[in-house]
Amino acid sequence: MKQMKKHLSRVVAAAAMVLTMASFAPQAKAETPTFTVGWSVYAGWNPYFYMQKSGILKKWADKYGIAIKVQRFDYAASLDSFVAKNIDACTMTNMEALDMPAAAGVDSTAIIVGDYSNGNDAVLTRNGLTFATLPGKPVMLVQKTVSEYLLERGMVLNGQQAQLNKLKLINTSDSDIVAAFLNNKGNQAVVTWKPLVSQIVADKSVKSIFDSSKIPGEILDLLVVRTELLNTPNGQKFAKAITGAWYETIQQVAAGQANAIKYSAAASGDSVDSYKEQLKTTALFSAPAAAVSFTNGPDLQKKMDLVRQFCFTHGLLGQGIKSVDDVAILYPNGTIQGKKDRVRFRFNSAYMQAAQLGKL
Amino acid sequence: MANLSPFEIQARPNRLLMQAASCMLFVICMGLYMQTSVRRHHENPEDRVVPSLTQLAAGIHASVLEPAEEDDYIPADNASKWERFKHSMIVKDTISSGRRFLISLALLIPAVVLALHIGLYPWFGAFFMRFVLFFDKIVALSLLPILFIVFGIEEWSKIALIVIGVAPTMILDVTQMVKAVPQEQIVKAFTLDANNFDVAYRVVSRQIMPQVINSLRLNLKPMMLFLFAGEMIAASDGLAYRIAIMRRHMGMDVILPYVLWVALLLFLIDFSLRTLNRRMHPWFQA
Repeated sequence: MKQMKKHLSRVVAAAAMVLTMASFAPQAKAETPTFTVGWSVYAGWNPYFYMQKSGILKKWADKYGIAIKVQRFDYAASLDSFVAKNIDACTMTNMEALDMPAAAGVDSTAIIVGDYSNGNDAVLTRNGLTFATLPGKPVMLVQKTVSEYLLERGMVLNGQQAQLNKLKLINTSDSDIVAAFLNNKGNQAVVTWKPLVSQIVADKSVKSIFDSSKIPGEILDLLVVRTELLNTPNGQKFAKAITGAWYETIQQVAAGQANAIKYSAAASGDSVDSYKEQLKTTALFSAPAAAVSFTNGPDLQKKMDLVRQFCFTHGLLGQGIKSVDDVAILYPNGTIQGKKDRVRFRFNSAYMQAAQLGKL
Repeated sequence: MANLSPFEIQARPNRLLMQAASCMLFVICMGLYMQTSVRRHHENPEDRVVPSLTQLAAGIHASVLEPAEEDDYIPADNASKWERFKHSMIVKDTISSGRRFLISLALLIPAVVLALHIGLYPWFGAFFMRFVLFFDKIVALSLLPILFIVFGIEEWSKIALIVIGVAPTMILDVTQMVKAVPQEQIVKAFTLDANNFDVAYRVVSRQIMPQVINSLRLNLKPMMLFLFAGEMIAASDGLAYRIAIMRRHMGMDVILPYVLWVALLLFLIDFSLRTLNRRMHPWFQA
C-alpha cells in the first residue's frame, strides 16, 4: 500500500505538471487503486475462478471504484506471497493463517469464513488398520499441515493419545502421494485431502477410518487480508467489494447453477461430477447469516484453541515463540485468546454481517 | 605504481589487493542481506523471510544443539555440548543424507567400469551405447512413480533417482575419454604382449582416472540436486526433508544455516577429491 501511495502521488504530480504546461490537455484520469487476491486449488476456493470469469468480480469492483485482480497460485506459494506482502488477500485455512502470516508478524484478518472441511480430509488405511494398530506403521502425509492435525485429532478422539509419539510419519509431497501410496501394497496408511482421497479410495483395499466430518468446524477455509489494509478507506472498499462478490458467487455455486459449477470445476481441472462430490463434503457457508453466526459463536474459540495448541506443540509458530499466547487471536466479540499486546490474527465478521443485511 | 586497470593482462596486483578483491563480492552480498533484513525488521519486527542475526543465531543453536522434533531423545540437564551435538537435528539429518549420497557415489563405480568397456570393446559399445545415449536424455524425476513401484518409498528409491540421474552422463563422459586415448598406445601395448584386460585396466584406465575424478567433481552438484528432490518428495529424515518441513512455516532461520552447511559439505567433498587427484596423479595437468 505504501508503495502504491507513493506511486499514486507520483502519477498525480506528473498529471498536474502536464496540466499546467498545456491547459488544453485532456483531463488526466486518476489511477484506480488495484488489489490482488491469491487463491489456490480447493473445492471451497475454486469459485474465485468463476467469480472472475463471470464478471461478478468486476461488477463489484466497479461499484466501489477499485480494481481487483484474482490470481491462482500453488498453495505454499500463495502463502509465501501473502507473507511477503506481494498480494493483499489470500485464501488459506485457519491453521496456516496462524502459523504463516500471523506467526511471522504479519497482522492478518479473516474477513470471509467460507466453509469448513466436512469430510474433504481423510485418514486412509489398508489391511483393516485402526488407530489402535497404527502406531509404528509408516504413515504418508504432508507433514505440518491439516493432514497431520487430522491424524492427531483422530488418535485423540479414539483414545490413543498416549501413542501419539509412536507414530512414524513420512513427509510426502502432495503431487506424488497418490502414486507413491497406491503403487506399493506395503504402504499401510496415508492422510490426504480430496480429490486425492477419491483417487486413493478407488482402490477397494483402502478404507477411510477417519475424516474431517468428525471434527466439524476445526479445519476452516478463510479469506484473509492484511489488517493494515482494513484501516485505510480503499482497503475497506476492497473488503466490501470482495465480500459482495463472494456471496453472489457462492450462492450461484450452492444453487447448482450450471456455469458456476462448470467453471469452478474447471479451475482445478476436475470433472463436474468430481467437483460436485467434493462440494458434498465441504460445508459451505453460502448464506452470510450462517457464516456470521458461526464466526460470532462460542464454538469457534474452542476449535481455534485446539488448532493453536497443535501449532505451538509442533513448533509451527517459530523458534522464537516461547508461549502459545504469543500469537494471540481476536474474536468479533472482543475476546482475546493469548496476550493482549500480541494480537496477530483476527476474525472480523463485520463484512459478512454487512452482506447479511444487504448493506454492501 | 601498480597497474589497477581491470583490462590489463600483464597486471601484477600484490597479494593484499588480490585477497581484498576476492572478498569483495562476499562482503557486498552480506551487506545487501543485512540491509534487507534490517529494513524488513524495521517494518515488521517479527519478519521471518530474511531473519536477522539474532534469529539466525537462534536457528543455528536449535539445529546444532537441539534434537530433532520427531526424536524421542531428551538431553539430560547436565548433558555436555558434545553430547547434545551428537543427538542434534543437523547431525541426524547429515548422517541420513550422507549415507544416501555415499551409497550412490559407490554405485557410480560400476558405471565407470562399464563405460570403460563400452569405450574399448566394440561388442559392449554395440550393446549399450545407443541405449545409454537414449537413457541419458530421460528426465529422471518424471520416472518417480515407477521408481516408487520398483524400489518402494524408503531409501532405495532416492538412491536410484540419483544413480539414474547421474550415471548415464558419467558413462557417456568416460566413454569419450576412453576413445580419446591414442590408438597407437593400445597397439603398442599389444605388441608388448599385453592382453585385452591389461590394455583396459593397466593402460587406458590408469590414464583416464584423473579425468574421471574431475568428471565426478562436476557431477557432485547434480547428485545433490537429485538427492534433495528425492528427500523433498518422500522422506522422514535428511537435510532436504528438514528444509521442506521448515518451509511450511517459513523457518528461514534454520533453512539458511542448512543451505550453507550443504554448500560447505559439497565444497569439502570437492576439495578432497581435488587433493586426492593431485596426490595420485601428479603428472596430470588440468
